[in-house]
Amino acid sequence: MPAEYSRRAVLGQIALGGALATAGPAGHAFAALDDRPWFFLTDNEARWLAAIVDVFIPADEYPSATQAGVVDYIDFQMATHYGKGARLYLQEPFSQGAPEQGYQAPCPPAELLRRGIAAALAEGDVTAQDAAGRERYVQAMSEAQGNIDDSDVPVGTFFTELLSLTNEGCFADPIYMGNNAYAGWEMVGFPGAHAYYLSFVDKHNRPFDKPPMGIAHGEYPHTFPRIVGGS
Amino acid sequence: MAPTTLPRTDVLIIGGGWTGLTAAYELAHAGQRCVILERGEHRHDATSFAGPEEHDEMKYAIRHHHMVDVTKETLTFRNDRGQQALPMRRLGSFLPGSGLGGAGIHWNGQLWRALPSDLEMRTHYENRYGSQFIPEDLSVQDWGVTYDELEPHYDFFEQICGAAGYAGNLQGERRDGGNVFEGPRSQDYPNPAMKQPISNTLFGRSAESMGLHPFPIPSANVTREYENPYGAKLHPCTYCGFCERFGCGYFAKADPIICVYDRVKEHENFEIRFESQVLRIEKSEDGQTATGALYLGPDGREYFQPADTICMNAYALWNVHLMLVSGLGKPYDPKTRTGVVGRNYAYQTIASVDAFFDDSVITNPFMGAGALGVVVDDYNGDNFDHSDLGFVGGGYIACKQYHGRPIGYQPVPEGTPRWGLEWKRAVRENYGHHGDIVVHGSSMPTPENYLDLDPTWTDAFGRPLLRMTFNFPDNDRRMSDYVMHRAVEIAENMEHVRSVKSTNLAAVGSNYNIVPYQTTHNTGGAVIGTDPATSAVNRYGQMWDHHNVFVFGACLFPQNLGYNPTGPLMGLAYWTLHHMKNDYLPNPRPLMDA
Amino acid sequence: MTPLSKITAVVVLTVGSFAAVSAGAQDYSETPGIDALVANLDSERALFNARVEAPVDDDLLEAGRLVAMGGAEFGGSGMACFTCHGANGRGDGSAAFPRLAGLPGWYMYKQLMDYASGTRPNQIMTGIAQKLTEREMEAVATYYAAIDAPFRDVTSDIAPDVLQWGGMLGAVGSAEKGIPACVNCHGPSGTGNPPSVPYLAGQYATYMEHQLMLWREGTRDNDPMNVMSAIADKMSDEDMRAVSEYYARVRAQEDIEDAADLGPTGLAPEIEPLAETLDVEAD
Repeated sequence: MPAEYSRRAVLGQIALGGALATAGPAGHAFAALDDRPWFFLTDNEARWLAAIVDVFIPADEYPSATQAGVVDYIDFQMATHYGKGARLYLQEPFSQGAPEQGYQAPCPPAELLRRGIAAALAEGDVTAQDAAGRERYVQAMSEAQGNIDDSDVPVGTFFTELLSLTNEGCFADPIYMGNNAYAGWEMVGFPGAHAYYLSFVDKHNRPFDKPPMGIAHGEYPHTFPRIVGGS
Repeated sequence: MAPTTLPRTDVLIIGGGWTGLTAAYELAHAGQRCVILERGEHRHDATSFAGPEEHDEMKYAIRHHHMVDVTKETLTFRNDRGQQALPMRRLGSFLPGSGLGGAGIHWNGQLWRALPSDLEMRTHYENRYGSQFIPEDLSVQDWGVTYDELEPHYDFFEQICGAAGYAGNLQGERRDGGNVFEGPRSQDYPNPAMKQPISNTLFGRSAESMGLHPFPIPSANVTREYENPYGAKLHPCTYCGFCERFGCGYFAKADPIICVYDRVKEHENFEIRFESQVLRIEKSEDGQTATGALYLGPDGREYFQPADTICMNAYALWNVHLMLVSGLGKPYDPKTRTGVVGRNYAYQTIASVDAFFDDSVITNPFMGAGALGVVVDDYNGDNFDHSDLGFVGGGYIACKQYHGRPIGYQPVPEGTPRWGLEWKRAVRENYGHHGDIVVHGSSMPTPENYLDLDPTWTDAFGRPLLRMTFNFPDNDRRMSDYVMHRAVEIAENMEHVRSVKSTNLAAVGSNYNIVPYQTTHNTGGAVIGTDPATSAVNRYGQMWDHHNVFVFGACLFPQNLGYNPTGPLMGLAYWTLHHMKNDYLPNPRPLMDA
Repeated sequence: MTPLSKITAVVVLTVGSFAAVSAGAQDYSETPGIDALVANLDSERALFNARVEAPVDDDLLEAGRLVAMGGAEFGGSGMACFTCHGANGRGDGSAAFPRLAGLPGWYMYKQLMDYASGTRPNQIMTGIAQKLTEREMEAVATYYAAIDAPFRDVTSDIAPDVLQWGGMLGAVGSAEKGIPACVNCHGPSGTGNPPSVPYLAGQYATYMEHQLMLWREGTRDNDPMNVMSAIADKMSDEDMRAVSEYYARVRAQEDIEDAADLGPTGLAPEIEPLAETLDVEAD
């Protein structure tokens, strides 16, 4: 497999330059996927995303976003129905509108991310900055208005999309390729999809520290992720 | 190609959710041949909603797989007439359903009745507080049907659902532990109330110590093995925490598929056609009646289904849309304030209060159910003295534990940033130590909140989109603020509470926002009443202008209650069906003089 | 979407025989030692499965082992559990007595309490359970929960269409009869949902079928809110047999892998078409 396809290499570069420098190379989420090409992202896009999502969810005693597989999650979402605009009304004309009117970007999420990252990279490479620089960059992006310079990408929509995708990638069932080894679920104590609490709901203040079990727990490998959003 | 005209049927029912399937059951058993046109697909609790696959937060709660696909049908939205309405390109604030069972398969199961005074709201307020009390900019009106008239129908629907609760007013006798403010019930709930987790229990204890009247939320999450009057067998709830936005594979949340559809699907007078999108209702030449519906079948061809009687059983918003695109009734015009279709659109006024416990309280939030909660009704409707408050209406205050799904459930204290280390720590430290309190407030109609057709955008079938113009009336902002502060007092009085955060989605200075989920309780637009100038249908749910068209659902509400709408709208549905069977169908005619 | 696409498990049905695991019921030499049990508890999941109330420790396991052998600090039941349930909790092979190995500790503890109180009436178990203290019940439940015993082979002849019907009931239930899927509560492949829901996969068919009949006739009603009676009420004798025979033959993936470690196993060919429908939601 060509070297440029190594996910570990791509994400590791980010880790060494940024918030994870002290924690060593990023523990990449799905080792089994390491030599597979991204489904949608380019290496540059993945690197940029890794820098941003680890500002959203930095490493502490629990994994960071990239360690939890968030970049893999976003890559997969963008490659599949959601990224392509499933359940998104895309009839013209487009108009920016008020925040209360929600998503009005003139394209589906995959295109939004592609154009947004390109426009952001054209302004300067945040991945070259240190952790503090990245935090300042993300803060500034969250406060910006209008379109990213020289693009038709509404920065508010772009930012909201990044933040939601990061959150989902950390906490969605591992069948979607994030939440690696239940990183998000372990952190909060969510036991997962296999749920039967009739005998326990009224046993007050009793800890229920069942280790998480996802939908496909132990049943089939992560290399068969869930494609969702087709209808 | 010209549409194929099909053989005539007695009753054509548009929509296969709670009201449509119930109409089919009742009318089929009354000897009427019924055809349901359902735009979505067939599905069933056993084969479509089994865990653990159904317990997929991403697919169902976040990506909305049980809900309407906005690429086919959506609406445009603006806060006021001065603004350009833009398409709701994604679902957000509310989640209408699609497919067999409609939104009835992904509801929470909170099963309420209207208060007697709610149903005679204008009369009640004017009698109690004077004729000038209701603010002039509110088009509040009576429903034209009373609690005593609806009571048998509320009661019957509660039996259909196997409702769990404790009566607070049994044939006039007030009973502590139930809702002492409710109207008299002819009998108690068919099933005992749900078990309560610690957070709800602490809320109830706090409210009681303050002299309020807590009780368990009336629930259609069934609490024991139960057979409903149609013969459907329901099972006890497992508190799995995948209720709202999900179907129930346990047969434990009453839904239209197991409670109604399974019991009528074999009936000789019953037929349902899936993936059949109604495009338009056609009228007779004189316009006095409707003749049938034009629909797009699963084969992509157009059909015309003639019928003697038409029941409109789509979701509230789509019922109004279908009336507007079909020219049924007179469209509402906000400039002249005339017309009725689209008038008195209302919503639900929501505020939330988060109570954060110390670590000795372990809530296990994932042990939940849609209607699992303890609630006070002391500040709902006119259960409290409004004399000096400057608003009408109210809301219930409930502490609920309905899920701990980790994308959707991330309570963090006041002042927590939206990302970063501090956010991450707050999410993890508060997940299992949080009480989720909601203020579920009424929504009053104004002449400026309404539904009409959009001039620019169309749906997948080429019809103009519905256009929603809505913002919170000042009355409701004041109401929400007042009741939220009462909720904060209860929260601060709870044992083991470290901090309290409150959020009023209708705060003064803010606008209604169609993005964050609030409730799927869109009401009005084709309201019920006794005056054809201010209602689209008469008190029996019959259109004033087209006597063989009957309308069902929350689009009938003249203003929205402080309660979840399913119980109230099903009470109305059984009321309408009772009058159709006994009065209208034997002798079709207008049931009231215009 | 076809109903089968809701099946979550890679299902493997076993038909052949385990030559290596045909120990007799009273062969105490197969009694797992504490070291073996502790080794079985190396994951959080196993620990959670084993725990009743108190944390699992060597003392509790040792106490449980004593009870299982018929003794204990307060005298135990006087009957060795091994006699009927096998040296390592695999049942006695006659299938009259259920497999206990690896059942959730909390579930077994509750069953013992219910036997003792008469909530779950049983001529044999009531007398035994009444002689146990609560601590002994907890200990022996923890002990059996911690055992990781190989499964017996299933040798009875069964028509393929019966197995298929059983598999359907397990995975998606029956819309016609209003039967919810077993996997709702009993976990993917019926591997259980600790602490309160026992596994079905690998349990004996005769035992499960008999229990379903007891639920249906109301003799057994000791689950919370009678969930199982409500379900069994909708099932015919044929449904009960089919689903029981099906689950008796199901093994979770991890058990198959474990079994593979033992050497040649005689596992039946995998039923690939089922497995292949699972992975990608194709709507």
